Amino acid sequence: MKYLSEYRDPELARSLVDRIRAESSRSWTLMEVCGGQTHTIVKQGIPEVLGDSVELIHGPGCPVCVTPLEQIDRALYLAERPEVIFTSFGDMLRVPGSECDLFQVRARGGEVRVVYSPLDALELARANPDREIVFFAVGFETTAPANAMAVWRARELDVPNFSVLVSHVTVPPAMTAILESPDNRVEGFLAAGHVCTVMGWEEYEPLASAHRVPIVVTGFEPVDILEGIWMAVRQLEEGRSEVENQYARSVRRDGNRPAREIVSRVFQLVDRQWRGIGEIPASGLGLRPEFAPWDAEKKFELGGIRATEPEECRAGDVLRGRIKPVECAAFGGACTPETPLGAPMVSSEGACAAYWAYARYRGTDSAPGAASREGAASGTPGAP
Amino acid sequence: MCLGIPGKIVEMYGTEGLPMGVVDFGGVRREVCLAYVADEVKPGDYAIVHVGFAISLVDEEEALRTYEALKELDQLDEIEWMSEIGSGRPPGPAETPEG
Amino acid sequence: MTDPREQGNAPKTPSAGSVAAAGLSCPVPAAAGDRVLLGHGSGGKLSARLIRDRFLPRFSNPALAPLGDGAIVPLGDERFVISTDTFVVSPLEFPGGDIGLLAVHGTLNDVAMMGAEAVCLSSGFVLEEGLPLEVLDRVLDSMAWAAGEAGVPLVTGDTKVVERGKADGLYVNTTGIGRLREGFEPAPDRAEPGDVILVSGAIGRHGIAVMSVREGLGFEVEVESDTAHLGPLVAGLSVACGDAVRVLRDPTRGGVASALNEIAAASGVHIALDGAALPVPVPVHAACEVLGLDPLYVANEGILVAVVRPDSEESALRALRGHPTGAGARKIGVVESGPAGMVSLKTGLGGSRVVDMLPGDQLPRIC
Repeated sequence: MKYLSEYRDPELARSLVDRIRAESSRSWTLMEVCGGQTHTIVKQGIPEVLGDSVELIHGPGCPVCVTPLEQIDRALYLAERPEVIFTSFGDMLRVPGSECDLFQVRARGGEVRVVYSPLDALELARANPDREIVFFAVGFETTAPANAMAVWRARELDVPNFSVLVSHVTVPPAMTAILESPDNRVEGFLAAGHVCTVMGWEEYEPLASAHRVPIVVTGFEPVDILEGIWMAVRQLEEGRSEVENQYARSVRRDGNRPAREIVSRVFQLVDRQWRGIGEIPASGLGLRPEFAPWDAEKKFELGGIRATEPEECRAGDVLRGRIKPVECAAFGGACTPETPLGAPMVSSEGACAAYWAYARYRGTDSAPGAASREGAASGTPGAP
Repeated sequence: MCLGIPGKIVEMYGTEGLPMGVVDFGGVRREVCLAYVADEVKPGDYAIVHVGFAISLVDEEEALRTYEALKELDQLDEIEWMSEIGSGRPPGPAETPEG
Repeated sequence: MTDPREQGNAPKTPSAGSVAAAGLSCPVPAAAGDRVLLGHGSGGKLSARLIRDRFLPRFSNPALAPLGDGAIVPLGDERFVISTDTFVVSPLEFPGGDIGLLAVHGTLNDVAMMGAEAVCLSSGFVLEEGLPLEVLDRVLDSMAWAAGEAGVPLVTGDTKVVERGKADGLYVNTTGIGRLREGFEPAPDRAEPGDVILVSGAIGRHGIAVMSVREGLGFEVEVESDTAHLGPLVAGLSVACGDAVRVLRDPTRGGVASALNEIAAASGVHIALDGAALPVPVPVHAACEVLGLDPLYVANEGILVAVVRPDSEESALRALRGHPTGAGARKIGVVESGPAGMVSLKTGLGGSRVVDMLPGDQLPRIC
């Protein structure tokens, strides 16, 4: 596929690996912010080929992992209601709520459907005027324009039986929280290429200069990621801390203006809970008051649904770096990828799931993959 | 997060006032909302698509430039490597792992 | 657009129509694991556990114990293979095939993977009231064609009709009986370190073809199901390599990854795949990119995975490629001694990753 296969060229990738290894005077600790980048890194075995030159810490950029338990419980409650068709991206179906997940609600008769696009959920609402269609609007800045458009169109086309359960988060506050954490080890960031495609990178510039960390806006293919790492390593070696753009084929300095415009008209900044991490001020997006008729939390009065994360799951401690996944009593017993207690065991890139797979593969905790996950722990922000 | 894939815009039209189009991803086609790129794209252009929305026009010159620059580096590497072999030095710690 | 099955099952819960009470944490009662989930049918870990915990303890016997694609049953001096499979596909017709082709090929292939030569087939139908007869005719035509092509007669059958809304158009069960060949007995637990892993053709076509017309995901994909009878490939292998063929599997639900994990577990070996060698057709690759899927977990209905003694690699590949169904045969990995019970993949970069069983269905992802 054009613009994919070129950036998977193993020769190019290997020559970048050589450069990174040759130019690192010591082991640098970098964080890739985005779960999509983590996916490539794990899938390609990048930590293993980089060896000691760079330690990669997996950032919190996975909506599946950071959507708070309370919002999952609200989703489960809505999905169970007979008048509701609950629609979601596929990722969210297996995320455990307090007692179950969306799959299990479906098995009990709740109507849950996977959609590819939020506009598909809106179409479903128009085709089923006698049902309530709720869309689980999760994601980072990349997904916000799509979800904003669905709400915008619902108002424009007057679709009263459509609403969204919003759990949007934004990247820069999370990066700030990581950098301000007293036990921070992150020396440079690979910023999320698609988040920046929408938002641009201006808001990262103060972050880079205030905390003196290089930030490289990076794409998602192996060559992109390795080039991003190489650019960050060069900055570190030269003592620079700038925002650079590796993903120039998609990202402009000011992002996508029409997309930002709709996002700012539909959403406003709100404080948001991050699962396992806690509340980060002004780190999320919520619907503006004028869109209340399409806000599932208001429409179905979900405010009464509260949840606290299960005590036996220590995902919060894992994410804060207090313990390794294997030190959790539930790890590998009550909590496995089949029956996850916490979000880091759900997606295969989650700290616990990855640790579990690599520990079994290597028969040791000291595997490169496992080691970088251990690092993930200490790099993620503590509860404010 | 944010799976975004480049695809070629093969058709553009409006649906109830919303710019839409068909995008081809290496033989897989899907209807995509073009509202956020409508002013800058034409059929034949490549766009990055996320959850059914084009979020950027792929800058083809930039894409080519990046790729060519990396290719040059790669060739440079080979020359250096050959000269190292020639001088009898071992390839060193940056030895390429075998695939 | 609404799925009638799910509508018919709409729950009548106390919370329906009322507002959530304060303090309510989850609407679903505890013990959420007390129902069958769709994932129990995905061919992954949930399926395996369902069988291990609920079926095996009740039916335990020596013929069942190996949990192969079928069972070996002695009759007089001869040993026969019996295998059964039930087909539920939505939609009934998809690019490159229909439920009828799958029903005949699927069971014939299971018989073939046991190393046997199919002798006859039976079939049972559950028909839903209201199913257009022309659809039934097309499905039956497909079955007749597939059985005829394979030269295996369908010798007995049964039909039942259920009320509208109680079945997805039609369900088909087929059972096949085959005769074991002398000196040719592939089994999941026979893989040994040093053996090579071969695949007979491109992976992922069936699953993507079906997904393109299902799920309401709105994708058009130019790919057809690979559904095919694998008997001729097995016949060729048995002649060319005989007992050097240690394991045969058709990687259907759960894809190549699940089939190899089962072999690794049953044989107590490690399987190391070469990522660059996996034959993934361009449209399958593209669809997987767009939906965030891994082709290793996508279903196939017309390829086989063979574990072969290293000295027979060439002859096995030649035998497979000698038949049109196996024209794309190639080596994709090797068997190693450890870490046992696992599958790993070497990436183009030289890194490696674990190719685990999936807990349930593979889901389209956004991240």
